[in-house]
Amino acid sequence: MAAILQTHSLGISFGGLKAVQDLNLTLNEEDLVGLIGPNGAGKTTVFNLLTGIYLPTTGDIIFKGESIVGLKPYQIAAKGITRTFQNIRLFGELSVLENVLIARHLHVPYNMMHAIFRLGRFYRGEKEMRDEAYELLKIMNLAHKAEEKAKNLPYGEQRRLEIARALATHPSLLLLDEPAAGMNPRETTELMELIGFIRSKFNVTILLIEHDMHLVMNICEQIYVLDYGVNIAHGTPEEIKNNPRVIEAYLGEGA
Amino acid sequence: MLKNWFTKENLAVTLLLIALMVGVQVLYSAEIISPFVMLNLIIIAINIILAVSLNLVVGFTGQFSIGHAGFMALGAYASAIMTLNFNTPFIVSLLVGAIVAGIGGIIIGIPTLRLKGDYLAIATLGLAEIIRGVITNIDYLGGAYGLMGITQRTNWLWAFSCMLVTILVIKNFVQSSHGRACISVRENEIAAEAMGINTTKYKVIAFTMGSFFAGIGGALLAHYITFIEPNAFNFLKSFDILVIVVLGGQGSLTGSVVAAVVLTLISTFLQSLAELRLIIYAIILILVMLFRPQGLLGTHELSFKLLQRKRGVSHGSHSADA
Repeated sequence: MAAILQTHSLGISFGGLKAVQDLNLTLNEEDLVGLIGPNGAGKTTVFNLLTGIYLPTTGDIIFKGESIVGLKPYQIAAKGITRTFQNIRLFGELSVLENVLIARHLHVPYNMMHAIFRLGRFYRGEKEMRDEAYELLKIMNLAHKAEEKAKNLPYGEQRRLEIARALATHPSLLLLDEPAAGMNPRETTELMELIGFIRSKFNVTILLIEHDMHLVMNICEQIYVLDYGVNIAHGTPEEIKNNPRVIEAYLGEGA
Repeated sequence: MLKNWFTKENLAVTLLLIALMVGVQVLYSAEIISPFVMLNLIIIAINIILAVSLNLVVGFTGQFSIGHAGFMALGAYASAIMTLNFNTPFIVSLLVGAIVAGIGGIIIGIPTLRLKGDYLAIATLGLAEIIRGVITNIDYLGGAYGLMGITQRTNWLWAFSCMLVTILVIKNFVQSSHGRACISVRENEIAAEAMGINTTKYKVIAFTMGSFFAGIGGALLAHYITFIEPNAFNFLKSFDILVIVVLGGQGSLTGSVVAAVVLTLISTFLQSLAELRLIIYAIILILVMLFRPQGLLGTHELSFKLLQRKRGVSHGSHSADA
């Protein structure tokens, strides 16, 4: 299988703090990979590096064979990497449907002149975009809430809307930042199935940060463990569970 | 396309607007509407153009700009020079005014739109004052005395149709994918960027469109009062427009229209009260901000559909809005 994303000794320092050091990730197409680690280990920082919010101090990020270091976040999204946010960042005052439509703008089928003069292309394009957005909302079980304001959704649904919105950009790599945070066990189980379904339905590679070990161990094929910005282990869930360095990182020395 | 254009709602609105445009003109010709009333109607139309265009920047895109009068000045002066010195037809003067203001918008927008919130407000305020200062010091533009004897070309039909074009273009823009991109900048810039929206590009587009139409507003005003001077475009004018936008509701086009009508009328009625006028005006604003901080309409739009929904006729909104 071809590697879709590779990082070569990726690192970033904030002043004297080395938030991420010497990280070498390899994601193959349609992999489902977990990124775990104690709080403050630098997991979200890795996402911010991959999506261009931070500029790495060292190393390189190769996506589909070319370096994406230095590109703006919107350019990286256009190349096919999108993400969800740990602290939900929806367009709160807008409807659920509009949230998805905005992400679909990357592939808008008409231009500004079509819109201003309301030409046929505009109506066809809007219909196409709306139909697709509704499809995504149906998959995420949000279609019945399409007209509601995003900020009025319950927490679990907001997280699902974040995933729907990310999928609307047609990503080939999807980064999920704690998708199960704040969900109850039943919602988490549904989410696990959903993530697996999304991968096969959209042929997308998924890298996810998660604290829910049940979820991570069950659906991820590969796991990277970060501790204090350093990649301390990498392997299958079985290998990670029994890795003494990982146990030490989570439970402390002597556990 | 035609099917989408000729909906019941569009037809009703179009007929209503044509009736309003022709009706007022006929009544004016028959001297039933006095020149004083006509003056106010035209000022209302110009204020609507200014407010709707500023709303695109402040309300929809969320970029707090208070330099709208600067772009009005560019449009007013550019069009007045065309008419005075080159004797161009009105439509050409109008377009030149709008394009000059639009170019001004691009030049000022690209550096300033990197700033956020208060900083952007101060920068746009400052740059609008710079525009005024530069105009004051150019003899060709009449300096501090301004330009006099501009042919009066603006009449009800021009003002009203320019107003309609402004509203229609901006409405069609904000109710499209590109307009949603602008709104996403207002809602959450980081998320918008992460979803592939080039936020800088859409800020500049909104700013340029806003300036373009401010230029039309300025050009109409210059060709109505036939006399312009730099001080007519100072920061107080910018604030007047901003007040209309905030009062009507940031992100509501119909709100801007309603507020422009109401505020223009209020200030006309209060004119006889001289000094008291500003106090009463201020009290009205304070009261609205206390009891309705989101503005009269918030982000909602008035439409026939809304009226229908209130009567209980709800329909699925799966289809694209016209």
